[in-house]
Amino acid sequence: MELTDADLIARVLVDDDQHAFGELVRRHQSAVRGMLRQLTRTDLALADDLAQETFLRAYRNIRSFRGEAKFSTWLYRIAYNCFREDARKRKELVGVDEGQWQKELDPHTVDAGLRHDLMHALNLLPLHERSAVMLCCQQGLSHDEAARVLDIPLGTVKTNVLRGREKLKKTLAAWATS
Amino acid sequence: MGDELRSTITEDALDRQLREAAPYIHDDGFTARVLACLPPPQRESRSIRSAILIGLTLLGSALASMLTDSGRFIVVDLVRLAQMPFASVLIMTFAIGLLAISGALVAAMAKLQDIRT
Repeated sequence: MELTDADLIARVLVDDDQHAFGELVRRHQSAVRGMLRQLTRTDLALADDLAQETFLRAYRNIRSFRGEAKFSTWLYRIAYNCFREDARKRKELVGVDEGQWQKELDPHTVDAGLRHDLMHALNLLPLHERSAVMLCCQQGLSHDEAARVLDIPLGTVKTNVLRGREKLKKTLAAWATS
Repeated sequence: MGDELRSTITEDALDRQLREAAPYIHDDGFTARVLACLPPPQRESRSIRSAILIGLTLLGSALASMLTDSGRFIVVDLVRLAQMPFASVLIMTFAIGLLAISGALVAAMAKLQDIRT
Protein backbone atom coordinates (compact mmCIF):
# COMPACT_ATOMS: atom_id res chain seq x y z
CA MET A 1 0.00 0.00 0.00
CA GLU A 2 1.34 3.40 -0.97
CA LEU A 3 1.93 5.78 1.90
CA THR A 4 0.01 9.05 1.87
CA ASP A 5 1.69 12.45 2.11
CA ALA A 6 0.47 12.63 5.73
CA ASP A 7 2.19 9.30 6.56
CA LEU A 8 5.45 10.48 5.02
CA ILE A 9 5.28 13.83 6.83
CA ALA A 10 4.67 11.99 10.11
CA ARG A 11 7.81 9.89 9.50
CA VAL A 12 9.85 13.02 8.83
CA LEU A 13 8.51 14.64 12.00
CA VAL A 14 8.91 11.65 14.31
CA ASP A 15 12.06 9.94 12.99
CA ASP A 16 13.62 12.73 10.92
CA ASP A 17 13.33 10.16 8.12
CA GLN A 18 15.07 11.66 5.10
CA HIS A 19 14.01 8.75 2.85
CA ALA A 20 10.39 9.69 3.56
CA PHE A 21 11.18 13.29 2.70
CA GLY A 22 12.86 12.07 -0.49
CA GLU A 23 9.61 10.35 -1.46
CA LEU A 24 7.72 13.62 -0.89
CA VAL A 25 10.23 15.43 -3.12
CA ARG A 26 9.87 12.75 -5.83
CA ARG A 27 6.06 13.09 -5.72
CA HIS A 28 5.92 16.87 -5.93
CA GLN A 29 9.07 17.84 -7.85
CA SER A 30 7.40 17.93 -11.27
CA ALA A 31 4.60 20.27 -10.17
CA VAL A 32 6.90 22.58 -8.20
CA ARG A 33 9.57 22.74 -10.91
CA GLY A 34 6.88 23.23 -13.57
CA MET A 35 5.35 26.10 -11.62
CA LEU A 36 8.74 27.76 -11.17
CA ARG A 37 9.59 27.30 -14.85
CA GLN A 38 6.40 29.18 -15.71
CA LEU A 39 7.16 31.91 -13.18
CA THR A 40 10.76 32.35 -14.37
CA ARG A 41 9.64 32.16 -18.01
CA THR A 42 11.36 28.82 -18.70
CA ASP A 43 14.73 29.75 -17.19
CA LEU A 44 15.36 26.09 -16.36
CA ALA A 45 18.52 26.53 -14.29
CA LEU A 46 17.03 29.30 -12.14
CA ALA A 47 13.74 27.39 -11.77
CA ASP A 48 15.58 24.28 -10.56
CA ASP A 49 17.71 26.28 -8.12
CA LEU A 50 14.55 27.82 -6.69
CA ALA A 51 12.83 24.41 -6.57
CA GLN A 52 15.79 23.03 -4.60
CA GLU A 53 15.60 25.97 -2.19
CA THR A 54 11.83 25.38 -1.90
CA PHE A 55 12.28 21.76 -0.77
CA LEU A 56 15.12 22.66 1.61
CA ARG A 57 12.91 25.30 3.24
CA ALA A 58 10.05 22.81 3.38
CA TYR A 59 12.31 20.32 5.20
CA ARG A 60 13.57 22.94 7.66
CA ASN A 61 10.05 24.22 8.40
CA ILE A 62 8.04 21.01 8.16
CA ARG A 63 7.02 21.38 11.82
CA SER A 64 5.10 24.51 10.89
CA PHE A 65 2.97 22.53 8.40
CA ARG A 66 -0.31 22.15 10.29
CA GLY A 67 -2.14 20.12 7.67
CA GLU A 68 -4.82 22.79 7.26
CA ALA A 69 -4.04 22.91 3.52
CA LYS A 70 -2.79 20.23 1.14
CA PHE A 71 0.97 19.61 1.29
CA SER A 72 1.23 20.62 -2.39
CA THR A 73 -0.48 23.98 -1.67
CA TRP A 74 1.98 24.58 1.18
CA LEU A 75 4.87 23.79 -1.19
CA TYR A 76 3.50 26.16 -3.86
CA ARG A 77 3.41 28.95 -1.29
CA ILE A 78 7.05 28.34 -0.33
CA ALA A 79 8.01 28.14 -4.02
CA TYR A 80 6.22 31.40 -4.78
CA ASN A 81 7.95 33.11 -1.85
CA CYS A 82 11.34 31.82 -3.05
CA PHE A 83 10.60 33.18 -6.51
CA ARG A 84 9.48 36.57 -5.15
CA GLU A 85 12.56 36.94 -2.94
CA ASP A 86 14.81 36.02 -5.85
CA ALA A 87 12.98 38.47 -8.14
CA ARG A 88 13.45 41.22 -5.56
CA LYS A 89 17.15 40.38 -5.30
CA ARG A 90 17.43 40.57 -9.06
CA LYS A 91 15.51 43.83 -8.99
CA GLU A 92 12.92 42.39 -11.34
CA LEU A 93 9.77 44.06 -10.16
CA VAL A 94 6.68 41.93 -10.26
CA GLY A 95 4.39 42.81 -13.19
CA VAL A 96 6.67 45.16 -15.12
CA ASP A 97 6.71 42.90 -18.14
CA GLU A 98 3.53 44.32 -19.69
CA GLY A 99 5.53 45.94 -22.49
CA GLN A 100 7.15 42.66 -23.40
CA TRP A 101 3.78 40.93 -23.34
CA GLN A 102 2.29 43.57 -25.64
CA LYS A 103 5.23 43.24 -28.02
CA GLU A 104 5.06 39.46 -28.10
CA LEU A 105 1.29 39.46 -28.47
CA ASP A 106 1.74 40.75 -31.99
CA PRO A 107 1.38 37.51 -34.03
CA HIS A 108 4.09 38.65 -36.44
CA THR A 109 6.75 38.72 -33.72
CA VAL A 110 6.05 35.19 -32.47
CA ASP A 111 8.01 32.23 -33.80
CA ALA A 112 5.70 30.21 -36.08
CA GLY A 113 6.61 26.99 -34.27
CA LEU A 114 5.37 28.41 -30.99
CA ARG A 115 2.13 29.92 -32.22
CA HIS A 116 0.01 26.98 -31.14
CA ASP A 117 1.96 26.32 -27.97
CA LEU A 118 -0.36 27.05 -25.09
CA MET A 119 2.51 27.12 -22.62
CA HIS A 120 4.17 29.82 -24.66
CA ALA A 121 0.91 31.78 -24.70
CA LEU A 122 0.75 31.45 -20.91
CA ASN A 123 4.28 32.81 -20.67
CA LEU A 124 3.20 35.97 -22.42
CA LEU A 125 0.85 36.92 -19.58
CA PRO A 126 2.07 39.38 -16.96
CA LEU A 127 3.24 37.67 -13.76
CA HIS A 128 0.18 38.37 -11.57
CA GLU A 129 -2.20 36.90 -14.18
CA ARG A 130 0.16 34.11 -15.19
CA SER A 131 0.56 32.89 -11.62
CA ALA A 132 -3.20 33.02 -10.94
CA VAL A 133 -4.10 31.19 -14.17
CA MET A 134 -1.36 28.64 -13.61
CA LEU A 135 -2.44 27.81 -10.05
CA CYS A 136 -6.21 27.81 -10.63
CA CYS A 137 -6.57 26.51 -14.19
CA GLN A 138 -3.47 24.35 -14.57
CA GLN A 139 -2.74 23.05 -11.07
CA GLY A 140 -6.41 22.87 -10.11
CA LEU A 141 -6.24 24.96 -6.93
CA SER A 142 -9.38 26.71 -5.73
CA HIS A 143 -9.43 30.52 -5.82
CA ASP A 144 -9.16 30.49 -2.03
CA GLU A 145 -6.08 28.23 -2.07
CA ALA A 146 -4.46 30.35 -4.80
CA ALA A 147 -5.12 33.49 -2.72
CA ARG A 148 -3.26 31.88 0.17
CA VAL A 149 -0.35 30.81 -2.04
CA LEU A 150 0.00 34.22 -3.68
CA ASP A 151 -0.83 36.12 -0.47
CA ILE A 152 -3.34 38.38 -2.20
CA PRO A 153 -7.09 38.96 -1.65
CA LEU A 154 -9.55 36.41 -3.03
CA GLY A 155 -11.21 39.02 -5.27
CA THR A 156 -7.84 39.89 -6.87
CA VAL A 157 -7.24 36.22 -7.68
CA LYS A 158 -10.64 35.94 -9.36
CA THR A 159 -9.99 39.11 -11.40
CA ASN A 160 -6.52 37.95 -12.41
CA VAL A 161 -7.80 34.52 -13.49
CA LEU A 162 -10.60 36.13 -15.50
CA ARG A 163 -8.29 38.65 -17.21
CA GLY A 164 -5.58 36.03 -17.79
CA ARG A 165 -8.08 33.67 -19.42
CA GLU A 166 -9.39 36.44 -21.66
CA LYS A 167 -5.87 37.40 -22.77
CA LEU A 168 -5.01 33.76 -23.40
CA LYS A 169 -8.09 33.35 -25.57
CA LYS A 170 -7.22 36.54 -27.50
CA THR A 171 -3.63 35.40 -28.04
CA LEU A 172 -4.75 31.97 -29.27
CA ALA A 173 -7.38 33.57 -31.52
CA ALA A 174 -4.77 35.96 -32.95
CA TRP A 175 -2.40 33.06 -33.64
CA ALA A 176 -5.18 31.04 -35.23
CA THR A 177 -6.11 33.78 -37.69
CA SER A 178 -2.54 34.77 -38.63
CA MET B 1 -28.01 31.77 -20.14
CA GLY B 2 -26.81 30.21 -23.41
CA ASP B 3 -23.83 32.58 -23.55
CA GLU B 4 -22.97 31.81 -19.93
CA LEU B 5 -23.04 28.06 -20.60
CA ARG B 6 -20.91 28.46 -23.74
CA SER B 7 -18.43 30.58 -21.80
CA THR B 8 -18.18 27.95 -19.04
CA ILE B 9 -17.60 25.17 -21.56
CA THR B 10 -14.89 27.25 -23.28
CA GLU B 11 -13.23 27.93 -19.91
CA ASP B 12 -13.32 24.23 -19.04
CA ALA B 13 -11.77 23.36 -22.38
CA LEU B 14 -9.04 25.98 -21.88
CA ASP B 15 -8.29 24.66 -18.38
CA ARG B 16 -8.14 21.10 -19.72
CA GLN B 17 -5.79 22.19 -22.50
CA LEU B 18 -3.61 24.01 -19.98
CA ARG B 19 -3.40 20.93 -17.77
CA GLU B 20 -2.56 18.74 -20.75
CA ALA B 21 0.01 21.22 -22.05
CA ALA B 22 1.99 21.14 -18.79
CA PRO B 23 4.68 18.52 -19.32
CA TYR B 24 5.66 16.00 -16.61
CA ILE B 25 9.19 16.88 -15.56
CA HIS B 26 11.31 13.77 -14.99
CA ASP B 27 13.31 13.67 -11.79
CA ASP B 28 16.73 13.26 -13.48
CA GLY B 29 18.63 13.32 -10.19
CA PHE B 30 16.76 16.32 -8.75
CA THR B 31 15.62 14.45 -5.61
CA ALA B 32 19.16 13.16 -5.01
CA ARG B 33 20.52 16.71 -5.25
CA VAL B 34 17.94 17.95 -2.71
CA LEU B 35 18.67 15.08 -0.31
CA ALA B 36 22.41 15.74 -0.57
CA CYS B 37 21.81 19.32 0.65
CA LEU B 38 19.73 18.34 3.71
CA PRO B 39 21.31 18.79 7.15
CA PRO B 40 22.31 15.51 8.88
CA PRO B 41 19.45 13.77 10.78
CA GLN B 42 19.08 14.93 14.37
CA ARG B 43 19.42 11.53 16.01
CA GLU B 44 21.90 12.82 18.61
CA SER B 45 19.55 15.43 20.06
CA ARG B 46 16.76 12.82 20.21
CA SER B 47 18.92 10.41 22.23
CA ILE B 48 19.88 13.25 24.60
CA ARG B 49 16.18 14.05 25.04
CA SER B 50 15.44 10.39 25.80
CA ALA B 51 18.27 10.28 28.37
CA ILE B 52 16.94 13.42 30.09
CA LEU B 53 13.40 11.99 30.19
CA ILE B 54 14.57 8.66 31.66
CA GLY B 55 16.75 10.48 34.20
CA LEU B 56 13.90 12.73 35.34
CA THR B 57 11.55 9.72 35.61
CA LEU B 58 14.04 7.85 37.80
CA LEU B 59 14.60 10.93 39.97
CA GLY B 60 10.83 11.45 40.34
CA SER B 61 10.32 7.78 41.28
CA ALA B 62 13.09 7.94 43.89
CA LEU B 63 11.60 11.11 45.40
CA ALA B 64 8.10 9.61 45.47
CA SER B 65 9.42 6.46 47.11
CA MET B 66 11.24 8.48 49.80
CA LEU B 67 8.29 10.76 50.53
CA THR B 68 5.74 7.91 50.81
CA ASP B 69 7.76 5.60 53.07
CA SER B 70 8.64 3.27 50.16
CA GLY B 71 5.07 3.39 48.85
CA ARG B 72 3.54 2.00 52.03
CA PHE B 73 0.19 3.63 51.17
CA ILE B 74 -0.15 1.18 48.24
CA VAL B 75 -0.05 -1.83 50.59
CA VAL B 76 -2.53 -0.16 52.97
CA ASP B 77 -4.96 0.62 50.13
CA LEU B 78 -4.66 -2.91 48.69
CA VAL B 79 -5.62 -4.34 52.07
CA ARG B 80 -8.60 -1.96 52.22
CA LEU B 81 -9.62 -3.02 48.71
CA ALA B 82 -9.46 -6.69 49.65
CA GLN B 83 -11.81 -6.04 52.60
CA MET B 84 -14.45 -4.31 50.43
CA PRO B 85 -17.69 -6.16 49.44
CA PHE B 86 -17.47 -8.06 46.13
CA ALA B 87 -20.26 -5.99 44.46
CA SER B 88 -18.47 -2.70 45.20
CA VAL B 89 -15.20 -4.03 43.71
CA LEU B 90 -17.11 -5.19 40.62
CA ILE B 91 -18.78 -1.79 40.11
CA MET B 92 -15.51 0.04 40.67
CA THR B 93 -13.66 -2.22 38.18
CA PHE B 94 -16.43 -1.69 35.61
CA ALA B 95 -16.35 2.11 36.07
CA ILE B 96 -12.55 2.26 35.75
CA GLY B 97 -12.68 0.06 32.61
CA LEU B 98 -15.33 2.29 31.07
CA LEU B 99 -13.26 5.39 31.84
CA ALA B 100 -10.14 3.84 30.28
CA ILE B 101 -11.99 2.80 27.10
CA SER B 102 -13.51 6.29 26.74
CA GLY B 103 -10.07 7.87 27.09
CA ALA B 104 -8.58 5.49 24.52
CA LEU B 105 -11.43 6.20 22.08
CA VAL B 106 -10.97 9.97 22.38
CA ALA B 107 -7.20 9.61 21.83
CA ALA B 108 -7.72 7.31 18.82
CA MET B 109 -10.21 9.73 17.23
CA ALA B 110 -7.87 12.68 17.72
CA LYS B 111 -5.00 10.69 16.18
CA LEU B 112 -7.18 9.64 13.23
CA GLN B 113 -8.07 13.28 12.56
CA ASP B 114 -4.36 14.19 12.67
CA ILE B 115 -3.49 11.46 10.17
CA ARG B 116 -6.33 12.43 7.82
CA THR B 117 -5.29 16.11 7.75
